[in-house]
Formats: sequence, C-alpha cells, structure tokens
Amino acid sequence: MASIELRSVSKAYDGGVHAVRDIDLSIADGEFMIFLGPSGCGKSTTLRMIAGLETATAGDILIGGERVNDLDPAKRDISIVFQNYALFPHMSVRKNLSFGLRLKGTPRAEIERRIGHVSKMMGIDELLDRRPSQLSGGQRQRVALGRALVREPQAFLLDEPLSNLDAKLRAVMRTELIKLHQRLGTTMVHVTHDQVEAMTMGERICIMKDGEVVQVGAPLEVYTNPADTFVAGFLATPSMNLMPARLEADGDGLAIHLAAGTIAVPEPFRAAYAPYAGQAIIAGMRPEDFHEKPAEAGPFGQLVETTIETVEALGPETILTLSQPGGTAFAARVSAAGTSRAGDKIRLTYDAGKLHLFDPRTTKRIARPLSV
Amino acid sequence: MQTRIEAADQRFGWMLSAPGLMLLGAVIGFPIAWALFTSLFDYTLIMPSYDNFVGLDNYVTALGDKEFGHAAWVTLTFVAAIVVVEFSIGFLVALMLNSTERGRGIYYIILLCPLLMNPVVVGLIWRMLLHPTLGIVNYLLGLVGLGPVNWLGDPTNAFITVVLVDVWHQVSFMIVLLLAGLSALPREPYEAARVEGASTLQSFWHITLPLMRPVIVVTLLIRVIFAIKTYDIIYIMTRGGPGDATDLISYFIYRRAFVGLNLGEACALAGLLLAVIVAMTAYLHRVMRKV
Ligand SMILES: Nc1ncnc2c1ncn2[C@@H]1O[C@H](COP(=O)(O)OP(=O)(O)O)[C@@H](O)[C@H]1O
Ligand SMILES: [Mg+2]
Repeated sequence: MASIELRSVSKAYDGGVHAVRDIDLSIADGEFMIFLGPSGCGKSTTLRMIAGLETATAGDILIGGERVNDLDPAKRDISIVFQNYALFPHMSVRKNLSFGLRLKGTPRAEIERRIGHVSKMMGIDELLDRRPSQLSGGQRQRVALGRALVREPQAFLLDEPLSNLDAKLRAVMRTELIKLHQRLGTTMVHVTHDQVEAMTMGERICIMKDGEVVQVGAPLEVYTNPADTFVAGFLATPSMNLMPARLEADGDGLAIHLAAGTIAVPEPFRAAYAPYAGQAIIAGMRPEDFHEKPAEAGPFGQLVETTIETVEALGPETILTLSQPGGTAFAARVSAAGTSRAGDKIRLTYDAGKLHLFDPRTTKRIARPLSV
Repeated sequence: MQTRIEAADQRFGWMLSAPGLMLLGAVIGFPIAWALFTSLFDYTLIMPSYDNFVGLDNYVTALGDKEFGHAAWVTLTFVAAIVVVEFSIGFLVALMLNSTERGRGIYYIILLCPLLMNPVVVGLIWRMLLHPTLGIVNYLLGLVGLGPVNWLGDPTNAFITVVLVDVWHQVSFMIVLLLAGLSALPREPYEAARVEGASTLQSFWHITLPLMRPVIVVTLLIRVIFAIKTYDIIYIMTRGGPGDATDLISYFIYRRAFVGLNLGEACALAGLLLAVIVAMTAYLHRVMRKV
C-alpha cells in the first residue's frame, strides 16, 4: 500500500491542450479518493499520469514517497481499471486475470490460488472459461476489477468504472467497491463525473474544473462549504440555488436583497460579510434548506413567500420550482406529504444559518464562520 | 412464403443484374465450360477436332508428366518465397506506419504506386533496369566496384530476381491490408498490458498477433491465390527460363497450348489449376465468413 502525491503537476498534450494545470494533491495511504468533475476537466489525464500512461509535462508524482515520473507503468505497482474495461478480447477470463502474473513468472500454484480467491470475491468463478464477448457489462466490469485485484498492487486507479453500467447495477457496484476498499484497505483513486457516486463513495473528493483542482475535502464538508459557485452548482440535484443579489446595510445588521424579497444576514455572519455591504453578491441557498414548518428551520429561519411554478414528485420527496418575479426561478426540496400544485402560493421558511455568499467577480465563496 | 412485393423486388433485381450476368457468362462462364469440355478430347491446334474423345486421359498424362511436376514445384517455391517475404516486409512496414502520425498519407501514396502499375509494365521496366550490359543496376553496382550480375541469365539468379520484382510490385498489397487491420485494433488492451508489465515485444506477441489473426489469415490466403496464377511477369522477364528455372504452372500451360499446340492437355492442366484455386477460394470464403 502506498500514498500518492502530486506536486505542481501539469500536462500539456502535443496539440497544445493544457489538460491539467499545476495540480497539488496528496492522497493518504489507504484512502478512498474521488476525482470529480465534468467531462474533459482532466480527470483521466491526471489518473493516467499517476499510472504512467502519460508523462507529466511539469511537476513531480510520488508513489509511496518515491518520485516515479520516470518509472515505467509496470514498475509503479498500481492497477488501473479503464472506463471501457480494456479486457483482452481474445483471452478467456482466466487468462485475462492471470496475464500480468504470467508475464512476471509467478509460479502456477500461486496464480491459481490468487485467481481462485479473487474470482470468488468478485463472483466470477463460474465465468473463468468464457471470453469477454460472452459476458454482460456488469460481468466484464467485475473481470476488469478482478484483473486489477489479482496483482495485489499498492494502489487502484479506477477511471469511471461504473459509467457503462445501468442505474441499478451501478448502485450495486458502488456498494461493492466501498466494501472492497474496506476489506483491502488499499489506496483507491476513483474517477467519476457523477456527483452522487462521489458523495456516496469517497472518503475525500477532489473536484476538478478545466484542468485545475477547485476543492478537496470530505463529501459533507465540500457539500456544506463549497469553495466557489462551480462546486456549489455541481454537487447534488437539484444543486444549490445561486441567485444574484445585493448586500445592503440594514440598521446595524445586513440584508440580502433578492428579486423575491430580502433575507436578513444572521448575526454570527455579519462581521465576515460586512466588507461586502453595498455590493453585488451571489446568494447560495440549498433547496433542502427551505422548510414547510418554521420550527424545522432553526433559529435563523426567515419567511419566504412565492408562487409554485412546477412540482416534481419524486416519491420520498418533492422538488418545487418557485418563481421569483424579476429574477430566476429557484428550487426547494420539501416532504412528499404536501398537496402543493403548480400556481399555488406557498410560504416556506429558509434556514439562513446555512446561507453562503459568493463574490461574483472571483466566483469564490466569501469566508464566514462555518458552524452556527 | 414470399409476398407479392418481395417477388416483384426479386424480378426487378434479376432484371438489373441480367446484363452483367450475361456478360460474365460470355467471357468467363463460356471459356471455362469450353476448356473443361475440350480437356476431355485429344484436341490439338494441328488437328482441331472433337473426333477423338479420350475421357480423363489428358489429366492422367498431365499428372504423370515430369515437366508438369517440375512446374508445380517451381510454382510452390515461388509462391512460398514471395508470400513469406512480402508478408514479413509487409507486416514490419505496416507496424512502423501504424505508429507514425506525421506524413502517413504520403507514405501511403508512395507505397501504392507500384501496386497501381500493370504487371507487364513492371516486368518491362525491371528487364530494362536489370539488363546485364545496358541496365542501370549493373552500372550502379559497377560504380561501387561490384561485378556485373547476370540477373536473368543464370537459373538461380533468375528465380530470385523474379521473386524480388514481384515483391517490389506486390508488397504494398500486404502493407495496405495489414495496416487497415492494425489501425482497427482497440488501443486500450495495449495500455492494460503495459500496466501489467508487458514489453513491446510481449504486447506484440500476446495482443497484436492474436487480434490480427483473422486479418493475417485472409491476407495470406488472398495473396497465395493470386500468386499461384502469376503469369505476366514471367512472360515478360524470363519466358520460364533460363532453361525451366522460372517455369511457373500458368506459363507452362501457356506453352503446352500455344507452343506445343496440345490444347486438350493444356485445358486439362488449366482445369487442375482451377480446382486448386477454387478450393482455396472456398476456404477463404469460409474463413472470412467466420471472422
Ligand atoms: N491524447 C490527447 N491528445 C490531446 N488532447 C487530449 C488527449 N487526451 C485528452 N485530451 C484533452 O485533455 C482534456 C482533458 O481530458 P481528460 O483527462 O480525458 O478529461 P476527463 O477524463 O475529465 O473527461 C480534454 O480537453 C481533452 O480533449
Ligand atoms: Mg475521462
């Protein structure tokens, strides 16, 4: 097992595409790290640089504390699972699993032992004599994971391994991967563009955008305190409502002037937000911080009155799109019990203790005391 | 059951293909039928008549004929030589081209040039270039102090020369087909193999070769089928000589028919050659359907 560290790593492809820019990241030994970001943000490139399939144009890559920039992929002792599995189409599952071991000249008995162990663990022991073309997507996925496992590497790199599976299977594999990590305790780097996957699986998430790391942190931490509007808008569906507003002095307090009305800034945040008084800001409000019962909204609850535009009943909960005259509509997540219908007037209480403000010029979150 | 629309479609289809089929029948079907028919008679150009039916005698004579045996042997070594050489060079060049990114189109065009030339033209050009006293090849060799080589006059030299000229002419065929196969291979298994610790040679052995197997088999079969029929280059460059050193079967048949004037026997020989080629083509067809 090993830690992975990236120090000011950059990658420019031949065509001049700067796929990765100056990334600093350290992944602890045994950690489950997620790379999350939209398609084309450089996740695969970063992963492939760790694996050694691409060379870094600048910076250092360390595995287990040793610089591996010039080390051949095979010598880095890591396994990578590709998005499309990259199984050897002409080999049986057994041969696929044993390929690397056979090349290394591992004794046959040892190969058999490991294949037996891994194929049982992955539930593919019945499939050992089949070709990849005779397997379903989920089975191929397991074989690809199995092939990574038999080598007992220091770290696993997974490049969107679940994205080709259907929704149900994806949920199953998600749980299995988490269990696998708990059992093995090996460092894992899991790439995904799916924020649900990221939130549910990782110990830490590294959110990337345009080849840069935007924020690194535990899922809940990133969720509650997004570093900028990009992260705020990327996590969760529906994501945080980002509404252009003005911050104005209001007596000895502060108030946020939205198109729909004003929201008083809770007392603990005042000092932090005071310098922005009189300026345009972006108010970030999570849909789940709107409550039907005022009591649920906590000490900083503020009444919001609007009209319902659309109702999406998801079963356990309902997503309301609420109109904001003169501004963009925003979403609220409420319990399913409600009988709200489009066109109805509705009164919700917003928990202003969860409010975040962003600087519209830098898109960064304006720092404030975190817990209230 | 066929619906009326399907039946009408089929009639229309037959109507469209009729002229082509008729033409093929006239220029290919008829000559084959005529040759097979003639092969059953003692039919010579001195006495062209179907009076003397001999059954399979012509075939029996041909199979027992020492000269025919020799021609078959020469053909076999010729085919083996050009296919092995062309395949080796072709695969090597295809592998190199497959890993080049810049100027691939230019290489492609250059390589295709010989393939676009008529074999007769190729033969004539090389005969000129290789002329023992007037040819530029011997002149150039002379400049670096190498003695004049009797390219086509010596039996062993002539065989090798014909093989080399054919390689020059046809190797691009292999390159083009193998390159098409190589560029259709998936990229990911190579990366997977690299991470698993495979060297370039091991990747080639464990991934490229097995994945290319269908393409290789088809390419080899096609090339063998065409090589067996080689005629033009021999006619232009050596006339089967010196002696009978380059006497390939197709040229041997030609001699039987138009020098020996024994058309009946020549037709029997052609029938045997046809049988071999049809069998190989049928096999090729089966292989191609499987992949
Ligand atoms: N081999 C390559 N050559 C040139 N550009 C590339 C190559 N691979 C990826 N890119 C570019 O680098 C950027 C990041 O790609 P990638 O790392 O694959 O993103 P992600 O995995 O996050 O979707 C993209 O703009 C992509 O077009
Ligand atoms: Mg990717």
